[in-house]
Amino acid sequence: MDITHSEHKHHESFISKYLFSRDHKMIAKQFMITGFTMGFIGIIMSVLFRLQLGWPGEKFLINDLLLGSWANGGVIAPDKYLALVTMHGTIMVFFMLTAGLSGTFSNLLIPLQIGARDMASGFINMLSYWIFFVSCIVMLVSLGVEGGAASSGWTIYPPLSALPEAIPGSGLGMTLWLVSMALFITSSLIGSLNYIVTILNLRTKGMTFTRLPLTIWSFLVTAILGVLSFPVLLSAVLLLVFDRSFGTSFYLSDIYIGGQALERFGGSPILFEHLFWFLGHPEVYIVLLPSLGITSEIVSTMSRKPIFGYKFMIGSILAIGGLSFIVWGHHMFVTGMNPFLGAVFTITTLLIAIPSAIKVFNYLTTLWRGNIIFSPAMLFSIGLISTFITGGLTGLILGDATLDINVHDTYFVVGHFHIVMGLSAVFGTFAGVYHWFPKMFGKMMNNTWGQIHFWITIVTAYGVFFPMHFLGLAGVPRRYYTNSSFPMFDDFVNLNEIISIFAIIAFIGQFIFIFNFLYSIFKGRKASQNPWSSNTLEWTTPVEHIHGNWPGEIPEVHRWPYDYNKPGYEEFIPQNVPLKKGEVESV
Amino acid sequence: MLLLSAFAFILILFLITFFYLKGGDFKEMFKGNPDDLNFDEQENKTQGWLFVAFGIGFLLFILFLIFKWGGSLLPEAASVHGADVDSLMLITGIIIIFVFVVTHILLFVLVYKYAFNKNRKPAFFTHNLKLELLWTALPAMVLVVLISVGLYNWNSIMTPLDENDDIVLIELYAKQFDWTARYAGNDGKLGRANVFLIKGSNFLGIDTTDVVAFDDKIVKNEFHLPVNKPVQFVFRAQDVMHSAYMPHFRAQMNCVPGLKTQFNFTPKYTTQEMRRITKNPDFDYILLCNKICGMAHFSMKMKIVVESEEDYNLWLASNQSFKQ
Amino acid sequence: MENNLSIYNYEFSENKKAKEPLLWIGLVSIIMFFAGLTSAVIVSSTSSTWKIFTLPNTFWYSSIAIIISSITFQLGYSFVKKNNLLLPKLLFISTLILGFTFVYFQYEGLSYLYQQGIYATGNKSTTSSSYLYVLTVLHIFHLFFGIISLGVVTTKSLMNKYNSSNFLGIKLSLTYWHFLGILWLYLFMFLTIMMSK
Repeated sequence: MDITHSEHKHHESFISKYLFSRDHKMIAKQFMITGFTMGFIGIIMSVLFRLQLGWPGEKFLINDLLLGSWANGGVIAPDKYLALVTMHGTIMVFFMLTAGLSGTFSNLLIPLQIGARDMASGFINMLSYWIFFVSCIVMLVSLGVEGGAASSGWTIYPPLSALPEAIPGSGLGMTLWLVSMALFITSSLIGSLNYIVTILNLRTKGMTFTRLPLTIWSFLVTAILGVLSFPVLLSAVLLLVFDRSFGTSFYLSDIYIGGQALERFGGSPILFEHLFWFLGHPEVYIVLLPSLGITSEIVSTMSRKPIFGYKFMIGSILAIGGLSFIVWGHHMFVTGMNPFLGAVFTITTLLIAIPSAIKVFNYLTTLWRGNIIFSPAMLFSIGLISTFITGGLTGLILGDATLDINVHDTYFVVGHFHIVMGLSAVFGTFAGVYHWFPKMFGKMMNNTWGQIHFWITIVTAYGVFFPMHFLGLAGVPRRYYTNSSFPMFDDFVNLNEIISIFAIIAFIGQFIFIFNFLYSIFKGRKASQNPWSSNTLEWTTPVEHIHGNWPGEIPEVHRWPYDYNKPGYEEFIPQNVPLKKGEVESV
Repeated sequence: MLLLSAFAFILILFLITFFYLKGGDFKEMFKGNPDDLNFDEQENKTQGWLFVAFGIGFLLFILFLIFKWGGSLLPEAASVHGADVDSLMLITGIIIIFVFVVTHILLFVLVYKYAFNKNRKPAFFTHNLKLELLWTALPAMVLVVLISVGLYNWNSIMTPLDENDDIVLIELYAKQFDWTARYAGNDGKLGRANVFLIKGSNFLGIDTTDVVAFDDKIVKNEFHLPVNKPVQFVFRAQDVMHSAYMPHFRAQMNCVPGLKTQFNFTPKYTTQEMRRITKNPDFDYILLCNKICGMAHFSMKMKIVVESEEDYNLWLASNQSFKQ
Repeated sequence: MENNLSIYNYEFSENKKAKEPLLWIGLVSIIMFFAGLTSAVIVSSTSSTWKIFTLPNTFWYSSIAIIISSITFQLGYSFVKKNNLLLPKLLFISTLILGFTFVYFQYEGLSYLYQQGIYATGNKSTTSSSYLYVLTVLHIFHLFFGIISLGVVTTKSLMNKYNSSNFLGIKLSLTYWHFLGILWLYLFMFLTIMMSK
């Protein structure tokens, strides 16, 4: 069914169509482009500091070109190294993996997969994007201010982040960081409100909760996590602003700096850590869950087989979401908090292993006796299963208070969270882009280059992050400008070099994706309506985007989304096909 | 740079292989797959193979890492509780590696075995309660073991020592960007201190009117510990958060302005013994800062010397008391 | 099929059905925001330097004002639902006045504290006094939006825009207003307990 242009007329100006669009599909694209651009900047930063770590003190022309005054004759300055690390973390966690991933796919898929004309409020949706856009701009501006960008790590623990005397980046750079973050939180809050209400209220007829695709379930839980945890970060940020600019002492006490004792009493930096990690840990799942949802969908479609244990999958998403609120203390085992609390947090943290294990085994069982078609999206999904296992397992060490003592804040942690949350989320994002590209742009992406992109990415990504476990077990702390002050780490000079080389290749490899992406938008093969023979509702809409998604009535849903190769029926049965005579619903 | 060119070479080889897999037609690579779903059996088979190859390569890479750097990891724990930490780490490590290897073999074998085949009819296998309960219960049982052993150790490590026992009491004081150690002296007690008293050489802010402080001993650059005697550490910080990390003793605690934190351990081997164990004549225990604290965070350290109690007492006597 | 296409013309009408749940979930996030702050107070109050002081009496007056305002607003709403359109005008205006009265008493209370030497910021402030100012001011910040929506409701009511079949706007504003009242009573009770610990 080819939908013609001529029949459907848009009487819209460029501004209302592309800029201040209230159409969820356009907003999804806006989130994607902005988020990926930020992600690209974040990755460049990581390559720059990897150069320093791989070859400490060596001069690189690229530092002069890109960093200007931050680099001293080609070598990054120590405090600017910290600024790079901080900004890399902030940008990747919040701007790329929260807004770029959840913002893109929640916006694109929620109305399409539940059968709604648009989000509950198109206006709030548009507002959410533009506030996010402004927060990106503020964050980028903070790179250029005097003293440099925020440099106290992405967790911005006070007093380092509160006192400009402690590090130059805690001046104007930090202020802008906080402003940008406040905007970001607002954007993500109102975005989440919209997602939740849309899923709860605007499902089409027949779309019960046990017929929702797992993507939607994961977006729902993600949004709930956002609504419950981001306000707490906002309160933490607000108190920090007061401490910095108005002379209160919520987080500060007994400090002597810059040649004088500060008149601040009664505050505690630990309080900030509690508030921060109350968001910070759910944030990990805000990043991860959408990827798991996307993977569930793709693994099932591309194995041409229903997802195994649909209800257990939902249960594990809910369990992970619930548990994520009572585990934040595992980031603080060695802060001197009450050992009893440490014990409680150990128990709750390790419990997360159970729903995670369920998910992994269910994925494996879905693959078993399937008929796997290796589209790039499927490759990345399999990659995600692998990184989720690898990174998740080391969580057993970090979640155990006793073992955490010695690996806390070392490269072991860096390796762990980059694999389990960074790589998994990035793989999920790529999988989503390859899979829903036809839906977004009406074109197909190139398969071969997608495969090449995947293989380069997974090999180099493991090459970067797996060896970091070894560094961590040798006691190498994270956020060190160079390890050269410690002879005990001399053995690892070569390993750091290898990691950096992998990082550079990984970076170069991403250009394949960028090229494929842009090339396909303009020159790609035209997509058919349902290129992956998939069951979910988004593939019943016309290829050309129209407002309201469906030209006629919204389809009614009669079955769950995973009827692939049901014995005695067609190869795949979309959700809007009524049950045949005598057919029993699969779940 | 040799490494970099080697890698570039591998990358180019990789691209050429792919090029040939695509029938050596460059145009073909740009066209991509003509169908939506890639029903080309050969190509799907190739991807399945690549996963197996990747799995083997991954394993070889890990073995290479273990072979090359496995010996550079932290040596045997040099403290009494550290041995418990290490044994728990060993148990957890074995479980992790076992699960890691098994699930990855499963993943790659499944992916290889079930690569697309025209004649295969995929199973319609939606759920199986017994199976799902099995892999809910299995990790749960493993966790019970890990949690109980972990918590037992955690509680014993975190219980502070009794100040009246025969122990060494040391305050580690962190500031940008160095460490200072203060020994409690003969009375076994540390004198009061306060940021408002920081002035000139009294950079710890010790209360000069406090009698208890008079015999405290302040040392920089390196501090000594007696072997086989419990040491109670108290941590303070002057400006921002720091973290006292003594990896060889499996000890770490943050130093927080406005808060006194503590940690205790009993050193098991002297520096000399450890040099023999590690076969490294230059080995030294070290205290590092492990919480981002500013520009020179990466060079904030202090040497630790563990020696016999007689040597330790001699060394301590050679240091001046606070009021001298 | 193509006919359908041209017939169906989707306009971006805001979805009415979704407005109420949007508000409710918004309220949940505000609750979490204040939950974060009040748990911060609890954590900070364990410090040895936590100073206690008595809250000004005017906080009682403002509490009474906000309770009465909730009642008048609720009454106005129920009259609109019964299609009685005159009384609500008066009731909404008095709600508005009571809202301003609340703000006035809050301001009085804070300036009383200030005169007592209990400062929000600076060297002489303590964490307890800072928290008091921060929490009350943040509540007023949220109330500001309540007053704006109340103003809109009052104006629209004066222009006879509401009737027994069109009252969603009032309902939303009313829910938010009740929420602010309850939030203040909670904060007042909480602060009284924490400041006398």
